[in-house]
Amino acid sequence: MSFIVRTVARTADGRDIVRPKTFDKAELTVGRSPSSDIHLADLAVTLTHAVVRTAPGGYVEVVATAGLPFVVNGKQSEHERFSASQGADVRIGSHSLSFEAGDGDDKGAVIITVERVGAISNASEEKEEAHVFSLASTLPGKRVLAWSLALLVLAIFLIWPLASIHTVPTDQTRKVAFHADELWTSGKLSQVHKNLENNCQACHVKAGEAVRDSACVACHTKVHDHADPQKLAAAKGSPGFVMATKQLVGGVFGIQPGRCVECHTEHQGATRMPVTDERFCTNCHSDMSKRITTALKDTSDFGKHHPQFEPMLRLAAADGAPMLRRVSLDANAKEDNGLKFPHDLHLSTTNGVAQMAKTLGKGEGYGAPLECSNCHMRDASGSSFTTVKMETACGACHSLAFDQVGGTIRTLRHGDPAQVIADIRAFYRAGAPRNIAYQGMERRRPGDFASSGQRINFAQTSAMHIGNADDAIRAVFSKGGACYDCHSVRATGNPTTPFAVAPVSLTRRYLVKGWFDHAAHDTESCTSCHSVKGSHYAADVNLPKLAKCQECHGGQDAHKEVPSSCAMCHDYHRTGFAPLMVRDNRARGKALEHIKEKALTEAGGGV
Amino acid sequence: MASKSIRQATSGRERASEHEGFLRYRGYKWLKIALLISAVTLLIYAFNDVQPRPNGGSIYGYTTGTIGVGLILWLTWLGVRKRQITPGRWSLKSWTSAHVYLGLSLIVIASLHTGFDFGWNVHTLAYVLMLLVIGSGIFGIASYSLLPQELSANRGETTQVQMLDNLRMLDRQLNESAQPLDADGAAIVQMALHDDPFGGGLLARLTGRYPKCGTRAALAAVRAHAGRKEGEGDPLDHVEVLLERKRSALSRIRKHLRLKALLEVWLYVHVPLTFALIAALFVHIVSVFYYW
Repeated sequence: MSFIVRTVARTADGRDIVRPKTFDKAELTVGRSPSSDIHLADLAVTLTHAVVRTAPGGYVEVVATAGLPFVVNGKQSEHERFSASQGADVRIGSHSLSFEAGDGDDKGAVIITVERVGAISNASEEKEEAHVFSLASTLPGKRVLAWSLALLVLAIFLIWPLASIHTVPTDQTRKVAFHADELWTSGKLSQVHKNLENNCQACHVKAGEAVRDSACVACHTKVHDHADPQKLAAAKGSPGFVMATKQLVGGVFGIQPGRCVECHTEHQGATRMPVTDERFCTNCHSDMSKRITTALKDTSDFGKHHPQFEPMLRLAAADGAPMLRRVSLDANAKEDNGLKFPHDLHLSTTNGVAQMAKTLGKGEGYGAPLECSNCHMRDASGSSFTTVKMETACGACHSLAFDQVGGTIRTLRHGDPAQVIADIRAFYRAGAPRNIAYQGMERRRPGDFASSGQRINFAQTSAMHIGNADDAIRAVFSKGGACYDCHSVRATGNPTTPFAVAPVSLTRRYLVKGWFDHAAHDTESCTSCHSVKGSHYAADVNLPKLAKCQECHGGQDAHKEVPSSCAMCHDYHRTGFAPLMVRDNRARGKALEHIKEKALTEAGGGV
Repeated sequence: MASKSIRQATSGRERASEHEGFLRYRGYKWLKIALLISAVTLLIYAFNDVQPRPNGGSIYGYTTGTIGVGLILWLTWLGVRKRQITPGRWSLKSWTSAHVYLGLSLIVIASLHTGFDFGWNVHTLAYVLMLLVIGSGIFGIASYSLLPQELSANRGETTQVQMLDNLRMLDRQLNESAQPLDADGAAIVQMALHDDPFGGGLLARLTGRYPKCGTRAALAAVRAHAGRKEGEGDPLDHVEVLLERKRSALSRIRKHLRLKALLEVWLYVHVPLTFALIAALFVHIVSVFYYW
């Protein structure tokens, strides 16, 4: 058997040149060595890579000689035998050796066609210039990228939220967890609505429908309207061009004006609910009297245009019956609380009252000339005061003691004239009044008169030294007597209860339409606002006038110490509580600090 | 010769100064328009007191939002429009000039539309995507105006095909001169031959750094080869010379590739992100009115 080796070379213009060579040998060497029978100028081939030899029975054998394999019909091998008649395809390096049996003239010979099938280098491979030199060869196409990114965005931000909206329940079984429609949020909810953060549908009830008041009212069941809706609409007057356009466009989409969310804007960040802006009030109130009939006076700014305060005062009507009316502080307001009380006398630092307070001493809670706080006590909220009580506030000096039995002092019952009369009668019925000079064995010491025991003696000697009960009763209820000093007393003509005391009604809250927080003004002294030192009558209304407040407070945007929007004193949905703004203790840095400090002190942690 | 000299004259510096690119089209007409739009938008924003704070839901917000969407869609249309080259007032050059400057004015319009109210949501996503698209556009303009000179200087007078052919010739010579080498030597040369001059991925293209370069490895291996003989016709000597030449040819090609990559890469951000942006804008609008 012989071999015919046909070496195929390719010219530059692509033509094949075949050079046949016949070997009458039973074995051919294959390798890169120029001396090889089949010379493969291929660096992937070793100098002597393999031998090809005939084998008995018409077989051909290929055997690797350098330990490096070759590929026969796609299978890697180092030793392969195949039938010459069937032929085979052998790959060594980048060369292909295809074996076939010769026919015709070459019958009996094995024809090996040797051809380079791989390029000599990577760069020599066929390359499309425009492609390989551009980035397109290293990146996916722009169109592919564009479609995939767009679809990714749609899948995550549209399909997922929509799927979540339509599959997740909105009732109690809804889990408190992230839901995909939160990807649509336009900002965090305010602190009070934090629990709704995972539940968009609590407010956004229907797709494409702007938030309705019904969603708010579902939870806020007790919030009342500011006024009758029709009156409100009339008070607003005709909207401007911008507003009218807004309402027109809103109307097309079924959005009614005056919704809760117009003022209560949400998704403004995890802050407190923002304080209502001044303009929401002044829109109507700045010139409302032109549009509707109302008792309310126009106002546009606390600093520049605000009516004088009109406290609710108790007055005596023409028939003497008490009545309540709001009176402007500018109208020389006087009230009728049924009491006689000169503030000036009590707050003097030099007179008898002052001396008395000094003498009572610290043990009794005094020890210095009287201060406001000796009688006026803060209530639990700190924002206001409790009503003055006679026993605690006045009793230390204005004693009602009239007798002493053993160590126990008997006092006349305050607030109950009939009882007073009865007690005095009983006292006389039991025996003659004792003379102070002969009562007890102890010696009186100078300066001792103010002690409680001595005060009884004093009272007895001043009022109860009278011979019979009727005289004593008359003395108590008349000028110089214990009741008459403070109360308006009138004779009834009734022999059983000959005297009656006019009822006393102290006002706890003067400014009923607004709010005032005393705690926020702790940095001030009482008299810096209430000019009581010159007040000689209990009828004086010692409230500071508007101008006093305006010394520190201005409008919302005023360059004053305390810029104050309407919401500082007034609430749109007014309740018995302080306005929201006051409750939040906002925009009042000083007061807030003060309250914190106070809370610390009360908690025992203060310095 | 005559025609050549004319060509030289017309392709000289004077000719270049007469050329009016899309950036300075008609004395920066579109730049002026864009600045005017931005100034007006800013001015209204400054005097428009939206309570409680500026947001896209105010009248101003809706207006700038609508203008913004319209602009974005129109700007995207350049992708279609650029395939029809026409002269005149609505020439492609005018269109491109408007694309650039109005696209830049979108930074003002869209930022003011947001009211600077950002969060982890689809709305801010759309805004960020828009900024990335505009940013990539700015990068594109910068590279178009800076890189071509460098590209031209690096290339010299050769074309891309010539660069590649030069490489192939060197490979053939390497292949031939490596024939007498033993298996080890052949393997070294193979490293250089099998190295794909266009391989290495996006990062290599952009930085021009090919840490796995076969030619450089082969050169180092040849120099360190134990079997080197002094003088007298060592085949490795010739191989080394050829490898050195291939390395220098490769470095020129790779610089060329880097510059081309920098010229092209912005579009791979600009175009796909534009479509992602349009998708995000769509969701933005749908969601805003879905949860009104």
